[in-house]
Amino acid sequence: MANLIFYVMALVAVVAALGVVSARNPMMSILALLTSFFALATIYLLAGFQTLAAVQILVYAGAILVLFLFVIMLLNLADVKPLARIDLVLFHERKAIWTMLVAGSLLGIGAFVALQAVPVVAASAPALPDQGIDGLQALADAMFSRYLLPFEAVSVLLLATAVAVLVLAKRKRGGAR
Amino acid sequence: MPPTQADLVWMWWIPLLPLIGSAVCGILHLLTLRSRGAWAHKAGGHGHGHDHGHDDAGHADHDHASVEAGIGALAYPVAVLAMAVSFVLALAAVVQLGSLSDIAVSIEGPAWQWIDTGVFPIDISIVIDRLSAVMVLIVTGVGLLIHVYAGGYMKGDPGFAKFFAYLNLFVFAMLMLVLSSNLVGLFVGWEGVGLCSYLLIGFWYEKGWPAEAGQKAFVMNRIGDACFLVGSFLLVHLFGTLDLSDIAGSVAGKLSSDPGAQFELLIAGLCLFGGACGKSAQFPLFTWLPDAMAGPTPVSALIHAATMVTAGVYLLVRLNPLFAANPTLMFVIACVGALTAFIAGTTALVQRDIKKVLAYSTVSQLGYMFLALGTGAFASAIFHLATHAFFKALLFLGAGSVIHGMHHEQDMHKMGNLRRYMPQTFLTFVVGAAALSGLPLMSGFFSKDEILAHTFARGGGYYALWLIGIVTAALTAFYTWRMVALTFFGPERFDKAKFQPHESSSLMTLPLLVLAALAILGGALSFPAVFPAFLQPEYMHDWLRPVTEPGVELLGAAHPLPHSTEWILLALGALVALVFAHTAFHRFKHGPQTDLATFERSPLRARFLSEAWGIDALYTRFVVGPVRVLGLVVAALIDGTLIDGFVNGAAQAALSGGMRLRRMTSGSIATYGLWMGAVTALIAILLVWNR
Amino acid sequence: MSVPPSHLFVVAALLFSIGAAGFFLRRNVIVVLMCIELMLNAANLSFLAASRMHTLAHGGQPDLQGPIFALFVIVIAAVEAAVGLALVIALYRNKQTVSLDEVAELKD
Repeated sequence: MANLIFYVMALVAVVAALGVVSARNPMMSILALLTSFFALATIYLLAGFQTLAAVQILVYAGAILVLFLFVIMLLNLADVKPLARIDLVLFHERKAIWTMLVAGSLLGIGAFVALQAVPVVAASAPALPDQGIDGLQALADAMFSRYLLPFEAVSVLLLATAVAVLVLAKRKRGGAR
Repeated sequence: MPPTQADLVWMWWIPLLPLIGSAVCGILHLLTLRSRGAWAHKAGGHGHGHDHGHDDAGHADHDHASVEAGIGALAYPVAVLAMAVSFVLALAAVVQLGSLSDIAVSIEGPAWQWIDTGVFPIDISIVIDRLSAVMVLIVTGVGLLIHVYAGGYMKGDPGFAKFFAYLNLFVFAMLMLVLSSNLVGLFVGWEGVGLCSYLLIGFWYEKGWPAEAGQKAFVMNRIGDACFLVGSFLLVHLFGTLDLSDIAGSVAGKLSSDPGAQFELLIAGLCLFGGACGKSAQFPLFTWLPDAMAGPTPVSALIHAATMVTAGVYLLVRLNPLFAANPTLMFVIACVGALTAFIAGTTALVQRDIKKVLAYSTVSQLGYMFLALGTGAFASAIFHLATHAFFKALLFLGAGSVIHGMHHEQDMHKMGNLRRYMPQTFLTFVVGAAALSGLPLMSGFFSKDEILAHTFARGGGYYALWLIGIVTAALTAFYTWRMVALTFFGPERFDKAKFQPHESSSLMTLPLLVLAALAILGGALSFPAVFPAFLQPEYMHDWLRPVTEPGVELLGAAHPLPHSTEWILLALGALVALVFAHTAFHRFKHGPQTDLATFERSPLRARFLSEAWGIDALYTRFVVGPVRVLGLVVAALIDGTLIDGFVNGAAQAALSGGMRLRRMTSGSIATYGLWMGAVTALIAILLVWNR
Repeated sequence: MSVPPSHLFVVAALLFSIGAAGFFLRRNVIVVLMCIELMLNAANLSFLAASRMHTLAHGGQPDLQGPIFALFVIVIAAVEAAVGLALVIALYRNKQTVSLDEVAELKD
């Protein structure tokens, strides 16, 4: 049963990704992305990663996508009218062919490695621990002991980012809009 | 075995002093250039005064205005001092050598190992033995006299210090040539004298033709050098060593142990003889020597009369067993010598330039030396080398004095009656002419007669060569006294209103006097065997016997001539010389009318003779011409098309490639991203592939 | 769930290549940024799949490196999205456009 859900969710994620890439309206792209994120979160859960599934929803779907949404609305790109003018999915046939080639080879490599190189696990999976692979307790223990340094570094990074965003998006003093 | 004595380091000063002198003179020259400013050495200098105490308002052989030498004047005492001390040391070394018993016949100087080839070592070492003693005395002695002379001759020349630098350098190279104990050191000296000859011939290169003459000399020498090298390779192959005494000593043993070696010895000897031909201006490599007269006269005296051109003779005597092993080769050498002597003698008959007469005369006398070598009379060749050094240097220096006093006029047709104006030059010149023409009791008489006697004694094909020799002696006497008559007698054919010929300074006349004395007395070195014993006849032969004996043994001594035959030959030689000298003198003592008449009667024959039988023209047409064409072709085809095309093509390819690549910088971020993605995919593929 | 981890990797590969295609093809800068997020998610999935693989291989011993790293990736993705969007705003302010075609400032 869980397997079935997994495959369905996987399908949803992939279809949603296609939707992100091919949608005309950027708003549609965002919604498709959201769908994909949700599907992925489900997959994470099924795989035994509870905390991360939660984080995925909280941060990715709840913060980052919202940020995208804000920006699109801020720039009035959600209007239907300018769409046809602004955006086209494919503009160069040549570019599309090359892109297919590149992306296709990436896919091919990935699939090849996945199917050939990854060792097969026993059909009947042994039981996962109660809290899942990334139980919150265990995760927190690891985060604040072994991975303390990256944690702190990332917090500095976040601070820097806040500053950077402020500077970048700031309106020029008395300048153009 | 020669005694190697450790305290003989002072022997090294003999060649090294001129080398140091050369370096010092070079520095002085650079200082002179700096003090003159702007490194200019064109005519006139930069307004330096003409206030010499001496009398030279102009210079022979070139028309530079006088330039004060400044600090460069120091070069003269430096160079002369180097030569003088070197000569004294050489004298001391020879005396020491002479005091040794007969068994010990050489003194070796300390050696440094230069290259260790693994098969045999190549050292830098010098040896003074009986033969190199003669040579070193000639080089340093005559060299010293010429250095003294040159101080007066080159006065006022802008390149005064440079001249002495080159001159000393030459002496160093020549000394290395004659003193070296192995073929490599000899070759270093060989090349060195060739280089200095080039530098000194082209000393006044601004005039154009001296530079060409220098180049011609060098290139012709090079041809000989190539033969020399091949010969030395063969010697290494045959004997496994390049030590000269070792090689000379091993020839006999090699022949007896391996009869097949005779052919190899023939080839090696032929190659070395080829090298000697180039250096000693034998047929067919002699056309450079007359052109070499473009250099200053002291150069002609030192290099092209007394020393460098005798290097070939020295080489053959040094390795005489090698050549004596093949009687055929010896005959070839003799033939080449005789032929050269004859051709040069006929050419000297019709020359108008006084220096050219002497140049062809030198070639002719060198031919005599080679004739002597070819008959096995090695000591006679050296004897003639010595006497020739004396009287030919004397003649050249005298000619220089004449040219100097005649304000750079060299055409004898424009001279005449100079004995009134230059008595000292005249007297010494006459002595030299007497020696050259072989007038009785002069040194040249004895040395030339010895050669002819040995040639006659060999018999067989050598009779023909003797005939050529005696005819050439007649020619020699003729052109020599023609030269004397045209220059010093007869009506004055120069414009007395324009200038007055004058005697040269004592710096120049003193060496003339010394050389004249040597030219007279030099015959005592080797009186003919038929002379009474108290005169110590054939002294030179006895002195050189340890060196020449192996060769003479191999060749087989000629039948000794009966005394009567020898006296007849002596008388014949004297007679021929006197008759032809007298004829020439009387024909020309009233001026060059005979010359002009001869030219008018048969201009073609006159031209043929005066251009050395057209050999030079032959070379120009069949060698220089094709080589030049080849050079142009190579320059156009290979250099122009191939190499330039390659280089320019590379540049062009870079340019066009760059322009094509430039289109990549479209600024379109998506394209950049695509490229990055493509490469990433490629790397991923490669990584997977290499698992 | 007993899905073999290789299938998880395949899904990740698919997502990644689709994201890459979109990254190369789309003209709208914001959509391009979204495609980047998609690729990052694919990476996350790979990390977790590997972690699961290791956990199962070691008989239930949880391998925490995967989730930790995935966590950091998410944080970085957030940072990158923030800065990128700030840039988009600045760009729009200067050029009145968000189309990549019209911002070829790097052109020679």
